[in-house]
This record gives sequence, structure tokens and C-alpha cells, in this order.
Amino acid sequence: MNKNSIFSTLYSLKAALPGLLAMFFIAIFSNNLVGVPNPFTLQNLFVWLDGVIGPLNHQSFFQIMNSNFVWNPLLLGLIIGNLFGVPNAWKRGLSYIHLMMPLGIIMLAPHFMIGHAAKLGFMPILICVAAMFITATVTLCTGRLLKLDDRQTSIIAGGLSTGDPHAGVILMPLIKAKGGQVVGASACVILFGVIAMLILPLVGPLVGIPDKYFGLAAVTTVGNGAQSLFAAFGQSYEAGRYATWFDVGRHVIMPAGFIYVFVVMFIRKLKNKGNTNVHATGDIKTFPIWLLVFIFFWALACLHLFRQPAAHAIFNMVQWDFSMAAAALGLSLPLREIAHDGIKCFAVTCIVGCIRMVLLLAALLICVKTGLLPA
Amino acid sequence: MTTNKQTTDQDGFDFMINAGREEQDRDMIGILLATAITVVITACQYLGLL
Repeated sequence: MNKNSIFSTLYSLKAALPGLLAMFFIAIFSNNLVGVPNPFTLQNLFVWLDGVIGPLNHQSFFQIMNSNFVWNPLLLGLIIGNLFGVPNAWKRGLSYIHLMMPLGIIMLAPHFMIGHAAKLGFMPILICVAAMFITATVTLCTGRLLKLDDRQTSIIAGGLSTGDPHAGVILMPLIKAKGGQVVGASACVILFGVIAMLILPLVGPLVGIPDKYFGLAAVTTVGNGAQSLFAAFGQSYEAGRYATWFDVGRHVIMPAGFIYVFVVMFIRKLKNKGNTNVHATGDIKTFPIWLLVFIFFWALACLHLFRQPAAHAIFNMVQWDFSMAAAALGLSLPLREIAHDGIKCFAVTCIVGCIRMVLLLAALLICVKTGLLPA
Repeated sequence: MTTNKQTTDQDGFDFMINAGREEQDRDMIGILLATAITVVITACQYLGLL
């Protein structure tokens, strides 16, 4: 193949096929992907087990544990890779993850339509935005204070600030984080979410925030969607319904969270050239073109260019892409890499999570008392 | 530094390394594919095919 072609650095289809097939089969046995009528998936197993366990504060256990189209194949890949090893024939194909990450992230853009949050009103949106940027900033500072690897810190910042551990995976190619750092940090965010969803309903009544805004507090201080709803329904049914209402505010601004973390770490890297303690963003010299393309598509999404069902169909493609990429990530990760620096990583997550909870509860209480948030 | 046996061959070459020209080319293919898929699906909707 022509060496000037952009395809020249890819392994040939013949060389990559075994690895690609491994990713494909892990993906279709993990998730119910569009176009594949396979009932024997990990997703269906979890749904069945959720039926056995029963709802927990109106939420399913595996949703609380962040089961989704990224984590299911990752889990299956981890089990297969660590139990049986990875044959040499698969390894070239697994490297296609580096192609699939920007591909999937760009296609994720139509998923975030800011206009959907307009119905919440100015103050709740402002609180969601402030919570996101403050959480990310405090995380980056805390990680630096505790001398945690800056790549791992960035992943925690992305996951905690957006409330979605997916953000960690999205940050992986931007921060140049190792797979183990991404999975380890995301696991810490999920674990903290479980702790926070149990603590918040205990703290809530002591603070005296009305149920309506307890829903907002749950959305901005706990973790993923199911964990937030668990906390809110733990307070009251009304708080849970309001959390469902406010959750869209957290969701649509997510891209700003991981873009912010990347930009901060990128500028820091440029200012600290030669500093051996600065690893985040690796050898990235200019703003990545694919991130600019993502921002462009996000802007188009905000202008409602992508309507339903096209936006939904594009998201189905994202599920395919991320499922296969997550399978490759799981297959390529030894468990010891995930556990590396685990305690320090969890400590940073918990410290920042608790600071955020205190700050936001105080802010919400002040807003309610001063009438900025009408009861 | 320990070698990750799940991504390296017997000579120690790591297939998961992504840097330099390879990274740029993979990014570019990702951009082209993502743009193509997004444009085709969106165009299908505007043309009444979805």
C-alpha cells in the first residue's frame, strides 16, 4: 500500500481480522446491539438478575453499578484476557481501538442537545455548570496535592465532574492515560457514587433542603444517573421525580466537562515542558483535530440539526463502536494495572466527592433561603 | 517497567502503542468514518428515508 496513504499505518484486514472478530463477538455477547438478535448477552443476564434482586429505591442494581454498553464488554474482555490470555493473532486487531475511540467520540456529539435543559430554568442550569467546573478544578488540585499521577487525576476529574464514568473513557485518548488508569479511576468514581448515594439521604434531612432541590442535589453530588436517582428516591418519591427532571441538566453539558479537563491539562503540559512529573496529554503538540470535529458536531447538535430518529441511529452506531473498543480495552488489561495506585486514587475521589457534597448542599441551602431557587 | 503480555509479542513489541504518524493516521480515519456515518444517517432523515 502507498506509504503516503492514511491507511498505510493500519494492519491489513487479514492480520487484524482475528482481533477484530474477538472484539466483535465480545461486543455482541455483552450488549443488545442493534441488528443482532442475540438474547444471550451479559446485558440480558444483568436484567434477569435485576429482576431477581428487585428494585432498590426504584433503581436496578446493575444500573447503579454502571452496567452499560461500555462496562459490559470491558468486564467480559477483562475476564477472558486475564483468565485465558490473549493469543498473538488477536493483538494487531486490538490496536484498532485507537481508531475506534475518536470515531465513537465524534459520533457521540449529537447525543448532547443543550436545548433539552432549557426547561429547567437559569439557576438549576447555572448550578449544574458550576458544580461541574468546580468539581473538575478541585479534583485536579487535590490530585496534585496528594501526588497522584496526573493522568489518573484527570480521569477522576472527568468522571466526577460529569457524573458519568464514561467521561473517563472519552478522556483516555486525550489525556494519553493507560488503560489500567482509566478503568481504575472510573471504578473509584463508581464506588464513591455508591457511598454517596447512601450518605446523601441521611444528610439531606439535616440540611433541610426541600424535596424539589434535594433532587437537584442528588443529580449534582452523587454519581451516575441510577445512583443519583437512588439517593433522591431514598429521600422521598417527590425528590426522586425531581431528580429525573433535573438529570438532563447534568447530562447535556457533559462534553464541556471533559473538554475542560483536557484543555487545563494540555496548557499545564505546555507550560511545564521537561517536567518529568507531567504525563497527562503525553506527546500531543497541538489541539487534536478530531476533538475540534467533535466540538463542531456538538455545536450542530445544539442547533438541533440532528433530529430524531437520526440522532438515535447515530447513537446506535456509537454503541457498536464503544462496545468493540471496550472489549479491546478489557482484553488488553492485566488486573494488576487496574489496581495500581488504587488506594490513593480512591482517596482523591472520596475527598473531592465529599467536598463537592458539602459545597453544593450549602449553595443550594443559600439559594433556597434567599429565594434564588423558588420553593 | 513490566511488560504487558496481553499486548506485546515475543520480541517485546507493543501493538497498543499509539504515537506519531500512526496516531495521526488512525485519528484521520476515525474522523472520516465518523463524519461519513453521521452525514449519511442525517441525510437519510432529511431525505425521508428514516
